[in-house]
Amino acid sequence: MKKFPIILLLLFHPLLFSKEYAIISNKNINNLTRGEIKAIYLQKINFFNNLKMVPLNLSAKNKIRTSFEKKVLKMNINRLKSYWIKQHYLGHRPPITMKSQKSVQKFITNVDGAIGYVEIKNLQNGMNILYKWSD
Amino acid sequence: MFRNLFFIFLLLLPLFANESEDESSFYELGNGLQLGNLPLYIGGYASLDYKKSDDASRYRVDDIALMSYGNYDKFSYMAEFEFKEFYTFTQNDDKPNTTEKNTKLHTERLYLEYNINENYILRFGKYNTPIGYWNMLPVNVLRDTSSNPMSTELLFPKFITGAAASYTSYGDSDIVVDVLLQQNDAIDDSYNNYKMDSHYGVGVTYTKDDLSLKLNLGNFHNIEDKKRYSYAMISAKYTTQSIDISGELGTQKSEGEFTTKYAGYLQSVYNFSDQHLGIIRLESYDDKKNNEQDNIAIVGYTYRPLYPVALKAEYQLHSLHTNNQFLCSFSVMF
Repeated sequence: MKKFPIILLLLFHPLLFSKEYAIISNKNINNLTRGEIKAIYLQKINFFNNLKMVPLNLSAKNKIRTSFEKKVLKMNINRLKSYWIKQHYLGHRPPITMKSQKSVQKFITNVDGAIGYVEIKNLQNGMNILYKWSD
Repeated sequence: MFRNLFFIFLLLLPLFANESEDESSFYELGNGLQLGNLPLYIGGYASLDYKKSDDASRYRVDDIALMSYGNYDKFSYMAEFEFKEFYTFTQNDDKPNTTEKNTKLHTERLYLEYNINENYILRFGKYNTPIGYWNMLPVNVLRDTSSNPMSTELLFPKFITGAAASYTSYGDSDIVVDVLLQQNDAIDDSYNNYKMDSHYGVGVTYTKDDLSLKLNLGNFHNIEDKKRYSYAMISAKYTTQSIDISGELGTQKSEGEFTTKYAGYLQSVYNFSDQHLGIIRLESYDDKKNNEQDNIAIVGYTYRPLYPVALKAEYQLHSLHTNNQFLCSFSVMF
């Protein structure tokens, strides 16, 4: 009987400790579907509602980025690498990379059309959540 | 003079290489280089290949290309200049060896794009005809094999000089509609597979997750034989982390008669790992213009120590046995 809470904890461990993330913008972008977010990050959409879109990435080995690529873009790092080399031939560039979640949010505050992703617990005031996912 | 500057720039470019985590800020092989903070990126590609057929061996420096692109506000551009078949040495079994040099710098692509909004893009200039999947990325380092399928040579012009409009709808699935229009002389058509002064075409692409389907229809005027040709092609591509399956099948007619009754391929690429790929391609065509019908089985292997560097080998087995050949190539994108 004493083992019951431990078993429960083990069973629900992924739910208890899964991290939540959000794709964010400033208040000038209201709504984006996952398909549109993917198209913006793959630089298929450059303008949305007449606004120049500026997708932001975290560094290549960042765990939030890995989760974003897996859950939102549904592409792994190698597939993305080959994608961007093909896009280089077609004249398109990968998103710019920011060092931290703080710098992502600072950039978004100052630049209309910028979108990025952060862990929800680190979300600052004034950010607009466009899409959420969890590990 | 321009040619010399072109070579000096190509030689100096790797000096800017930098192993960096921030792929958008520094030069990394295969990603091009930004010049200062200007909206100007420089890159290029090169390839060497070797072909062994029944009666000859050919060594070739094929592509040496430099491209520049960038964007400002809603405008973007692409300019690409290339030496094609720059140096070719052929060792013949039954006739004297030959050496050919082609030092003419060709204009491969030259276009300006205008992004109207998230759905519509206009393009003006010379560009790869957006037909099927293979012709969108036709350079050695980006394709799966050293050779190109015959369907991409027979059915439609590889390049077009004119206007294009594309409409894209994004959602759970994407739909892209391309409209092509040429009613003028071409920019540098010296190695386009057809010399044209008129071309109309439409394409519809449907993509959902790993599957993409495409239909192309078009009509062009060949200035060499002064005939109009119509073509139709269907294409499909299924891509996962470990396997890529693609196929294209088309036909071409002129003056009510088949000029190419059918031409197509089915290809499977298996990724043994990120570096090692195995390729099997089956091709078939019935070309009435040259009265040639062939079935081809191709087995290939590609090694990519880095994605922008490819070492490829393939063997082609033809039903026209005199066409059996071995090809290998080295190619790089920078």
